[in-house]
Amino acid sequence: MEFKEVIGSRRSIRFFEPDKPVEREKIQKMLEAARLASCAVNAHWAKAIVIERDKLPEDKLEKMKTPVAALNIELAPVHIYWYADLGVVNRVQGSRLKELVDVGALAPTHGWSHKFVDELVYPQILKPMTQGPGYPIAAATDCGVAMCQAMLTGVDEGLGVCLSSFIPNIAKELFKVPDDWVPLYVLLVGYPAESAKGGGQRPRPPFEEQYHYGEYGTPYTRDEAVVEELKQAKMIQEPAQPNNQERTDEIKRLAERLGLPL
Amino acid sequence: MAELQPLTGYASVQAWFEGLHRHWGGDPEHDDPERLEIIEAFCRFADRDPDAVIAECLLVKDGEKRIRTKGRQRCADLIAEFQSGVEGPRMKRAKWGNTVRSFLIHNGIMLQSGVQGGESGS
Repeated sequence: MEFKEVIGSRRSIRFFEPDKPVEREKIQKMLEAARLASCAVNAHWAKAIVIERDKLPEDKLEKMKTPVAALNIELAPVHIYWYADLGVVNRVQGSRLKELVDVGALAPTHGWSHKFVDELVYPQILKPMTQGPGYPIAAATDCGVAMCQAMLTGVDEGLGVCLSSFIPNIAKELFKVPDDWVPLYVLLVGYPAESAKGGGQRPRPPFEEQYHYGEYGTPYTRDEAVVEELKQAKMIQEPAQPNNQERTDEIKRLAERLGLPL
Repeated sequence: MAELQPLTGYASVQAWFEGLHRHWGGDPEHDDPERLEIIEAFCRFADRDPDAVIAECLLVKDGEKRIRTKGRQRCADLIAEFQSGVEGPRMKRAKWGNTVRSFLIHNGIMLQSGVQGGESGS
C-alpha cells in the first residue's frame, strides 16, 4: 500500500477475528517501525510488552477485562502494551545525543559537541527536565509518535489495530513492569472481522477549526485541489455516514456471530 | 421487591426501547417478544424492578449523572450468573444475558462482557 493510502485506510478496529493468529514477523515489523520513530534527545522513551492473548492464562486474561474494556481484550489475539520509560534519560545521561553527534546527525554547524552534551545539555537541561511536571507529557508525546508508526505499519501489513486504555496496576503485576515505566495505551492487533472500510472514514472536526495560520484564530485555509489530490491517493476516503444501513447490517451480523448485545 | 408493574411502564424500559429503535430501527417492543420476558426474568432473579437495576449502576454527584463502578460490576456479575442459569443451549444463554446487557447499555451504562457465543464463546 502507498503511504498516503495507509494513513487513509487506518480505522480503529473493534471487531477482530478472534481465532486468526497474527504472524510474529508482522508484529516485529510494527516494533521495528516504532524503533525508527523520531524522538527528542534520542531518548526513546517508548517501551512495549507484547502479549499473545492465548498464552495468557485464562485467569490473568480475565483480570485484564473490565466492563468497559472486556471485548477487545478478548477478541484481539495480540496486545502490545506501551509505556514511557521515564528513567531512560538519567540512565543514558546524554550518551544517545553524543551518538547523534558521532554520526553527523547533530553537527557543530548547529552548535553541537560532546562537551556541550556532557557539560550543559545533560546536567543543566535534561536532568532538571526529568524533575519537572511536564516531563511525562513530553515523554508520552514522543511515545505517541512511535506507537503511530507501529500502528500504521500494522495497517500496511493488512492487520487491524486499535489503541485502547488498560488497567495499569494489573498489567504491572502480570507483566512485571518496571516502576519507572508510565502506562500509556495497549495497541490491540489482529485481523479485522469487520470490513476494511469500517463504514468509512470516521468523523473529524473541520480542517480550519483545527489548524491555524500565523496566529491563533486565522484558519489555515484548505485548498480543495489538495483535497482532491489526496482523494486520488486514497488518503481522504469516503466519510462514514450516520444511519448507514450497510454498516448497521454489518454490526448486526458481527453481533450475531460473536454473541454480542445490540 | 414489590410486585412488578407492566414493564413498559418503567422509564428505563421506555428508554431501552427508544435507544433500540433509534439505533437499529424497527419496533423493539413487538419485533422480539422475548425481550420483555427476559427482562422480567432478570428482575425477578435480581429481586429489583427495571428502574432499580439501572439506579444501582448510577449515582448523581454535583448534579451530574455518573456510573457507579461497583454497582455496575455487581450488575455485570449478576447478569453473568443469570445467564449461566438459563436452561438451554449456549446461544440461548448468550441471548438472555445480552438482552439484559442491551437494557443497561441503552440506559447509558457502558458495559462489555466479551464474546458470549459464536465460535469463540464459552
